[in-house]
Amino acid sequence: MSDKRNAKDTVLEIKNLKVNFHTYRGEVKALNGVDLKLCCKEVLALVGESGCGKSVTVQTLIGLLPENASVLEGEIILDGDNLINKTKEEMRILRTHDLAIVFQDPMTFLNPVLTIGTQLEEVVTMDKDLLVEAIAIEKPKQKLDFTDLIKMDDSATEPKNLKISRRETKRIAKRLCAAILSLVKLPDQERILKQYPFELSGGMRQRAMIAMALARRPSIFIADEITTALDVTIQAQILHLLKELRDKIDASTLMITHDLSVAAETADRIAVMYGGNVVEVASSVVLFRRPFHPYAQMLLKAIPNIENPTSRLEAIPGTVPEMIDPPPGCRFHPRCKYAMDACTKKRPRLKEVEKGHEVACYLY
Amino acid sequence: MRSHVISTKNAVKTIDPLVVKNLKVWFPIKSGVIQKTIGHVKAVDGVSFSVKKNETLGVVGESGSGKTTLARAILRLVKPTAGEVRFDGINIPKANRQQMKTLRQKVQIIFQDPYASLDPRQTVSSLLREAMHIHGVVKSKSEATEKSLKLLRKVGLDEEHLYRFPHEFSGGQRQRIAVARALVANAEFLILDEPTSFLDVSVQASVLNLLKDLQKDLNLTYMFITHNLAVVHHMSNRVAVMYLGKIVELADKNTIYRNPKHPYTFQLMAAIPVPNPEAKKKEILLEGDVPSPINIPLGCRFHPRCKYAKEKCRKVEPNLVEKDGHFVACHSEIDFSAEMRTGESADG
Repeated sequence: MSDKRNAKDTVLEIKNLKVNFHTYRGEVKALNGVDLKLCCKEVLALVGESGCGKSVTVQTLIGLLPENASVLEGEIILDGDNLINKTKEEMRILRTHDLAIVFQDPMTFLNPVLTIGTQLEEVVTMDKDLLVEAIAIEKPKQKLDFTDLIKMDDSATEPKNLKISRRETKRIAKRLCAAILSLVKLPDQERILKQYPFELSGGMRQRAMIAMALARRPSIFIADEITTALDVTIQAQILHLLKELRDKIDASTLMITHDLSVAAETADRIAVMYGGNVVEVASSVVLFRRPFHPYAQMLLKAIPNIENPTSRLEAIPGTVPEMIDPPPGCRFHPRCKYAMDACTKKRPRLKEVEKGHEVACYLY
Repeated sequence: MRSHVISTKNAVKTIDPLVVKNLKVWFPIKSGVIQKTIGHVKAVDGVSFSVKKNETLGVVGESGSGKTTLARAILRLVKPTAGEVRFDGINIPKANRQQMKTLRQKVQIIFQDPYASLDPRQTVSSLLREAMHIHGVVKSKSEATEKSLKLLRKVGLDEEHLYRFPHEFSGGQRQRIAVARALVANAEFLILDEPTSFLDVSVQASVLNLLKDLQKDLNLTYMFITHNLAVVHHMSNRVAVMYLGKIVELADKNTIYRNPKHPYTFQLMAAIPVPNPEAKKKEILLEGDVPSPINIPLGCRFHPRCKYAKEKCRKVEPNLVEKDGHFVACHSEIDFSAEMRTGESADG
């Protein structure tokens, strides 16, 4: 791979991010200092139960926080820029080029009255560079290969002739759409382009969403619970697709999931979130072998495992903390069996205990 | 081995509490001005099985396979089109009012969504009292309160929770209340319809533990419906796999996970994500989607997605055939155990 960036380079860094929501009942302290690094071309899974702040982290990252939320503190650094300071318009442009996101329910994000082809063409024609490059590499009577275009995204720097006739745009856009659909392994592309979202099954819709995200050749691909609404066999298909795509697409992937097994199957590294904090980050192999944080340890014992069945699961006592009035110090301390004095006073920050294994806990 | 012998002995002595025979639930599709029936959604299309005393029968399947409709038909919450459901010998679809009254006490259901199944305007105390009143199990108010307390303690809640409203509880606690309500009148058989799919993993574990404890204490029989194959493995003794309104395989838990005989079961098992990143799993992918239950494929309903489909599979629908307690509906006898085992040894 002729890439300027190194595999270990950080593409995206979130530093001490704090986000509050204003509600009638009071301030909801949703994020309490999230630290996270996404390295180049890796798949990082953000795992946690509902209410732990994984979705809010993503919303802040893509600049789509609701009106009643405010960022109190922290930085999100992408390519040397702090995304927190960007305007809405700048964030919109960023979302069309660098940040691509796929959400849980494709039906709410696809327009029900437009065909898949129309929606995909809209995305493709927005990127003039892509059209020019596609015309440059296309060969008559041969299918376009979208992976070639992804590789070109980084290398091509020379100014291009951006004048393409409308007819030409239309023609090349059609070919591009078919190429993208075949990238996500959708068969019979010509027919699917003419279909409406309701005519596709859940798995196919999700593939179409992934296609739309990848059409922009993003540098960061965010998959927010993309398999949660799908059946296991379809989930397996989509996860398999993601694994295949990871070498083809030139992007770092941030995967949000509540399912530890899904994270185990796909991610290189896993970040565990609890109560608005990242409490542990490690490579997925290390995390499953030897989790350090008491929450991560208990969470792993709470999932039924088919390979090592136990007659009793270990439940975590208590409930997820109330975010309006969260426990002081470490937010896990009321449920933690190792809780000490220090835990109730000051929030532990992430620190590197072993190489590449970070934990936010006073035990280490 | 020993447990196997005991179970066959018991089968001779006692009849199974629930026996379902060729149950069908078809929903008509109506169209036009005169609402003519133009077809049927065959949600449950000829299902036969029995549940043994004190066991947990897991029912798994993808969405649209008819798991929930099956549960509702057993309870007569939807009218079955054909077939028999016998509970303690009484045919539920044809039972009279008096028989239904006792059946409703013995057979209870716990629904998936505890946010929808509890009346938001009633306190826990009145929710439970209402159920007791309907079943006529208590005589006075004080007796009702006493019994409610006992039930709440049994499901891991306390006196302080008695006068609270459902919105004051977390999802896990609400599901506990739903369990308490199901146990109001000496229930013997509980249908658990995805009881933990709305809950987080840490809470799910405690609810599953509670259900296991209750089964032991109160000698309950469970039918556990879920799409989560790891949960069903944890909870069940036997597992039934449904596909498009039919049971394609039914066997002992370990048999079905280690030695599945039906290609669908095999591929379903292979699709389960394993919480172990080091597991060297074979990539066995099931192609395509579940067909619509309106146009069920001829012959074996799995054949369009089946790698092993033969000419016969396209024409003749296979019956569910038993061999040593292992029911399979497949024409080809394929042994997947070798493939399943290679997956296992690679993990170890």
